[in-house]
Amino acid sequence: MGLHTEKNLPVKAAASKRAVWRKRVRDNKFAYMLMVPTIIFMLLVHLLPMIQGFWMSFLKLNQFTLGKYLKAPFVGIDNYVGLLFNSDNPVRQGLNFAIRNTAIYAVIVTIGVMVMGLMMAMLLNRDFPGRSIARTAMLLPWVVPSYVVGVLWGFMWQQNGIINYFLVDVLHLYAEKPFWLLGPNTIWAIIIPTIWRGWPFLMVIFLAGLQTIPEDIYEAATIDGAGKFRQFWNMTLPMLKPVIAVQLLFQIINNVYSYNIVSTMFGNGAGYPGEWGDLLMTALTRQSFGYWSFGSGSAASIMLMFAMLMIVGVWYRAFRTELNTQ
Amino acid sequence: MSTHRKRSVSSFLLTSVTWLIVLLTIFPILWMVFTSLHSNDQILNGITTFSLPKPQWVNYINMWDTVNFAVYFRNSLLICGATTLLAGTFAVLAGYALARFDFPGSKLFSMSIISTQLIPGIMFLFPIYLMFLWIKNTFGLPMINTYWGMILVYTAFYTPISIWIMRSFFVSIPRDLEESATIDGCTKFQAFYKIILPLSLPGIIATGIFIFLTAWDELLFAWVLTTSSDVQTIPVGIRLFVGQYNTRYDLLMAASTVVTVPVMVIFFMTQKYFISGMTAGAVKG
Repeated sequence: MGLHTEKNLPVKAAASKRAVWRKRVRDNKFAYMLMVPTIIFMLLVHLLPMIQGFWMSFLKLNQFTLGKYLKAPFVGIDNYVGLLFNSDNPVRQGLNFAIRNTAIYAVIVTIGVMVMGLMMAMLLNRDFPGRSIARTAMLLPWVVPSYVVGVLWGFMWQQNGIINYFLVDVLHLYAEKPFWLLGPNTIWAIIIPTIWRGWPFLMVIFLAGLQTIPEDIYEAATIDGAGKFRQFWNMTLPMLKPVIAVQLLFQIINNVYSYNIVSTMFGNGAGYPGEWGDLLMTALTRQSFGYWSFGSGSAASIMLMFAMLMIVGVWYRAFRTELNTQ
Repeated sequence: MSTHRKRSVSSFLLTSVTWLIVLLTIFPILWMVFTSLHSNDQILNGITTFSLPKPQWVNYINMWDTVNFAVYFRNSLLICGATTLLAGTFAVLAGYALARFDFPGSKLFSMSIISTQLIPGIMFLFPIYLMFLWIKNTFGLPMINTYWGMILVYTAFYTPISIWIMRSFFVSIPRDLEESATIDGCTKFQAFYKIILPLSLPGIIATGIFIFLTAWDELLFAWVLTTSSDVQTIPVGIRLFVGQYNTRYDLLMAASTVVTVPVMVIFFMTQKYFISGMTAGAVKG
């Protein structure tokens, strides 16, 4: 008898597990109904193009094979090899500069918007005359479309533009007016506008985060003799850590994939922003479309995606505890 | 007494620093408007005075007929408006499903929503471009240079992140509300429609503005998927003011001002909802 039940148990468990699962599906019919449109859209415009992009990275796609791209010649990993080792590959041209610039740009912009956003949030969290006007005014740059940011700052950085007027004629920081859209200065010409447009959003998020921290713990800390800096370092920052973690991830993604500001600042995508202004996205788009090499372009974007996955992996390890305790 | 004075001095300093930063921050926007009221010759010579004796309001009239800007404006409004409606609806439905039900596959779905954000746009760009060509060749249905092609792409792109915002908003509404509604005889759909939707209006508005602003900003896909000015959006059209030999900075700055103003107006009318909606998700995770 005992032997009998032992033999039947796993079978029964599996059957009941399946029954439970089936029941859960049936009970959640309403949830599935709500998801249907989204699932259809995501299959059509996310999953399908992704599989297609993956497949394209193994094809020789150029202006001749584009028309019947499903029958384009299969070249295996040639596109990847070409990108990594063949210096004649058109998509590869200038990619070293683009990778370097993107790394510098993404790191400085991400740190810049987070630090400035937090600093401004703390300044605006105080009580002072005109606080609500200041808060509203601070949000203005974030509403300016990013292509306008590119156009506007590209105009302001010009040699006889307003920025050089301030730097040279008013503040006398330089002996003569420097070029900002040419040479190594270019990287600053793209970093500063991106920070300018990006930090108001972080300010709003941090301001909301600061307001969830109860006032009395600061009072208790002051009575215990903790200075302002200690309070910031040991109380404010740890309390904001979950917010910082999420915003950090979105900033990294946004800045590595940044396109609009650079492309509109330098001749609307058609022009080459120079070896200190070209970013990965502008370089890949210009080169792939310029030389009709969609296979190499796809291979490059897949490698970029894997690099991003690794960065996200590091991010997840660093903030695992904060993300799981939420 | 002395500590009090010291505190008020430091407080005065901090307030001054704050206002200085605020002024520096909004300066580029003021400069854009100020520049748009000059003639192109004045701009090319470099503007270094802050007085404006003769504002060139005519720039705001000329910009509309120099490159037929009204068409681009209409296209942007149409495409962004339709995208906001569609993506917003999908986000509300799916966000609610993810916030309230633990259905088989919900974990997988949440993960795939987040991972869509990791894919570079350019990776979709070639396949979608080719897919649109293929649809045209196979079914005779034009996709490139159509409103619905653009709306389809934008809707698909902005739905995932909007679902995420809506989901965190629905999570913040107590579950008891639907439970008591179902006890009173409502179906699940009625509870959602009659109780939860009105309560989540601020979140819906916030998500809608977010979608609209993001779509208004999109450049890369608009540039590749449209070649005819009948459907091209503002970011594509605005570059026509930049000529090879002669850039009309006066009109460029006027057009930049004109495209910034509507989003600013929409934003500041709904700012209250927007900030509470965005921060509800961002702060609570």
